[in-house]
Amino acid sequence: MAKGQKMSPHPQVPMGLEAGPFHQQLDALNGQHGWMNWMGFASPTVLDNMEFEYFAIRNQSTLFDISPMCKYLIEGADAEKVVNRLVTRDIRKLKTGRVAYVIWCDEDGNVIDDGTVFRLADNSIRLCCQEPQLAWLEDVAWGFDVAIRDVSREIAALALQGPTSAALLRTLAVGEVEHLKPFDFAPVRIGRKKVELSRTGFTGDLGYELWMKPEDAGTVWDALLQAGNQYGLRVIGYQALEMARIEAGFLLPKTDFLSSRTALRPDRTSTPFELGLEGMVAFDKPHFNGRRALLRLAGSPPRRKLVQIEVDKDKPAVNALVYHRQKKEVGMVTSALWSPTCKRNIAYAWLDAPYCEPGSEDLWVEIYLQKEIRWQRRMERCRIVTKRFFSHERRAATPPAGF
Amino acid sequence: MSEAREAIIIGAGHNGLVAAGLLARKEIRPLVLEARDHIGGMLGDQSFRVSPMPFSLRPEFLRALDIDLPAVPMATLVASPSGKTIRVSGNRVEGCDTADAEAYEQLARRLARQAEALSGMLLRPPPSLDGNSFRELLSLARTGLKLRGLGKTGLRDLLRIALSNVHDLIDDEIGDGPLGALLAMDATLGGAMGPRSPGTVLPLLYRMTANAGQRMMPAGGPTALVKALASKVETAGGEVRTNAPVKRILVEDDRVAGVCLESGEIIRAPLVLSTAAPGTTLLEMLGPEYLDAEFVRRCRKMASAGMVARLDFELSAAPALADGTQLTASDRLVIAENAAAVEAAFNAAKYRGLPERPVMEACYDAGRGLLSVSAQFIPCNPEGGWTKVLRLKLEKAVKGEIARIIPDFSKLVLSTVLMTPQDIETAYRVPGGHWHHGEFRIDQLLMLRPFDGASNYRMPVEGLYLCGAGAHPGGDISGAPGFNGARAALAGRRR
Repeated sequence: MAKGQKMSPHPQVPMGLEAGPFHQQLDALNGQHGWMNWMGFASPTVLDNMEFEYFAIRNQSTLFDISPMCKYLIEGADAEKVVNRLVTRDIRKLKTGRVAYVIWCDEDGNVIDDGTVFRLADNSIRLCCQEPQLAWLEDVAWGFDVAIRDVSREIAALALQGPTSAALLRTLAVGEVEHLKPFDFAPVRIGRKKVELSRTGFTGDLGYELWMKPEDAGTVWDALLQAGNQYGLRVIGYQALEMARIEAGFLLPKTDFLSSRTALRPDRTSTPFELGLEGMVAFDKPHFNGRRALLRLAGSPPRRKLVQIEVDKDKPAVNALVYHRQKKEVGMVTSALWSPTCKRNIAYAWLDAPYCEPGSEDLWVEIYLQKEIRWQRRMERCRIVTKRFFSHERRAATPPAGF
Repeated sequence: MSEAREAIIIGAGHNGLVAAGLLARKEIRPLVLEARDHIGGMLGDQSFRVSPMPFSLRPEFLRALDIDLPAVPMATLVASPSGKTIRVSGNRVEGCDTADAEAYEQLARRLARQAEALSGMLLRPPPSLDGNSFRELLSLARTGLKLRGLGKTGLRDLLRIALSNVHDLIDDEIGDGPLGALLAMDATLGGAMGPRSPGTVLPLLYRMTANAGQRMMPAGGPTALVKALASKVETAGGEVRTNAPVKRILVEDDRVAGVCLESGEIIRAPLVLSTAAPGTTLLEMLGPEYLDAEFVRRCRKMASAGMVARLDFELSAAPALADGTQLTASDRLVIAENAAAVEAAFNAAKYRGLPERPVMEACYDAGRGLLSVSAQFIPCNPEGGWTKVLRLKLEKAVKGEIARIIPDFSKLVLSTVLMTPQDIETAYRVPGGHWHHGEFRIDQLLMLRPFDGASNYRMPVEGLYLCGAGAHPGGDISGAPGFNGARAALAGRRR
């Protein structure tokens, strides 16, 4: 290297992973060099401090790269028919410019995955989800007049979440913010680039998701970061988001439930009724995948349920087993957290019937604590909670409040 | 809109007529809708029969329908390398070396015993894969007992050979030769597997279940059989309509509501039994929108490539074999030198080519002077498609092979009619033109026939039943799918 020439910063990509559209920007900020594998892309776990990042979600605003999500474009005369055949909800009612949270099931009524559908036009729908679904979509669409395309790499996406997110967008002259209701989306311009702005997110808070071309990613990022200066904008990693999503009551595949396409043991699958998503199953629409099995399942109480529980004291019940009368094992915890915002010790747990019904008494979790290399076992009371742990009116207020 | 019916049966082939007969006996008067201008399906076209030999009809069904149709045993002829004709009737062999004859007879008896033990399973619906009812368990237990009856050695032998290939069995037990060709043909006829393909002993056993391996031709041939079946339907109050192709099966509230014909006519009925191929019934007439994606996938992935071309030769005089043996109406002639020749013919077809030396079976209708030939291992979609040149090439190859066995053949031929597997596919709406509406393969038999999740005749849409050759036990002219399917429909009504 010639003398005096500065070494150009070269973004580091962990071995075996791919650099996403925001990698250069994320790498520059990633003081911890914590990366995880998300669909083959390098995704930050934590950039400097998980707690700071978490509190930014609830008090300021945050930016999280969601580009690795799987995205499929379903287009053609039968697009609505095919998506309606795929998912359990009736999406015939979904108007252009609206988003819906959906789940889809296999022929036995077991959940394959969840995701969101964006109604782009009458004959054009985009599906976003966690796991690759192209083969499944093509099976569902066989015999119908549609074209399905994996557009995962054609769209870069950011989640802008937090109470100051609307104010931040206002300074960028995004007027649409005033009338976008939750689950609405609209085309906007940020840094003169075309961006699709949807009022959706994984935090249960006021927030938006921004969908753009990968080549515009850098410009949009810079515009957001610059405007974010005065709104406490922080780029965050996955760990902080995970805290927020537990509080918000969103399920995470592979943690809270297993896709029936990946489960090897038949009893590891779960039905919408077991996941507490019975409200998402519309029996009054034309045939959809798993309908007949779901009708049969709806006739009898589920074998177990995924429920929200609140645990006594402050030690999170991570990986804990749940007991009835401190004796009989009746379930297990999937996600657990001391919620700093709710000031409650919260968790999700699979509980066997009949203990999974609200009001079940004498339920205990077995928590293991390590204190200076020595393990302690604690039994703490827990009870089933039906209301969302974190819910704030600013999430849905339209127009959103400013700061 | 026409008058509503109690039940509709799609297809007036022998399975459709057996099913209609059975329903009519239970006072459900069915309307049988046939797309073509004749009844009897592949048996029924007087001018050109796709299946000229209904030899495996189960006598149980004729009894159940009160049809009194005597059956005549058929003999199979095959030429030895010396030109002498070997005659096999039942398990008896004449015209060849005593040692060879004895070896064959012994093997045939052994296979017949094993087939007999399995036979009960084919008359009943297949056991299901999840959650058996008491009745199913009882029937499984009965089959189990019959299998135990084979004795320890017999059962072990059955388990050993059932999934093996027929070529190995021939090599081990009788040595390859004209008698080997016979077994190899019986094991593979109609399908897309050669004698060396694994699992070819099972179709052979399947074929032997009716009449303990003895081929029986109903007296009066296919015409008499079709007539007897149709008259049973009509005297019991059923109706058969020809030239009435079904376009759609109608569904309301996840229940079958009737059918819509190609003509636009709508006929309502709460019960629809289809003898059309599974793919035709489910994906074309019903439509994937009423079915789960996995079900549709399994249906469209069914192996059903047919490999039989049918040729009719009008002859000026009765054909005689090289040693002077006359071919009569109760004879079946197999033209193949040995099992290896059958495999060689398959090799070409496997890669979409025409075999240089096709293997075939033939029968002679003396009344009409017609030699009907089923040429085996002719691909449904050959490389380059079915051109006129290719059709002529096939005709020439078939004629050449026949002329080796019937020396005067080329002089006797007045005219030729050819139906390729593709012609059969179009004419009878059978994907791949497959005789059995689906390959006889271990993964497409019993509870996996026509495919997993569709094996108990009841389809996911309430009131729709499959009872054609695609359903268990499937294939040949046995009548069993029609019989079992109708019984499943009757049981469904009672529930």
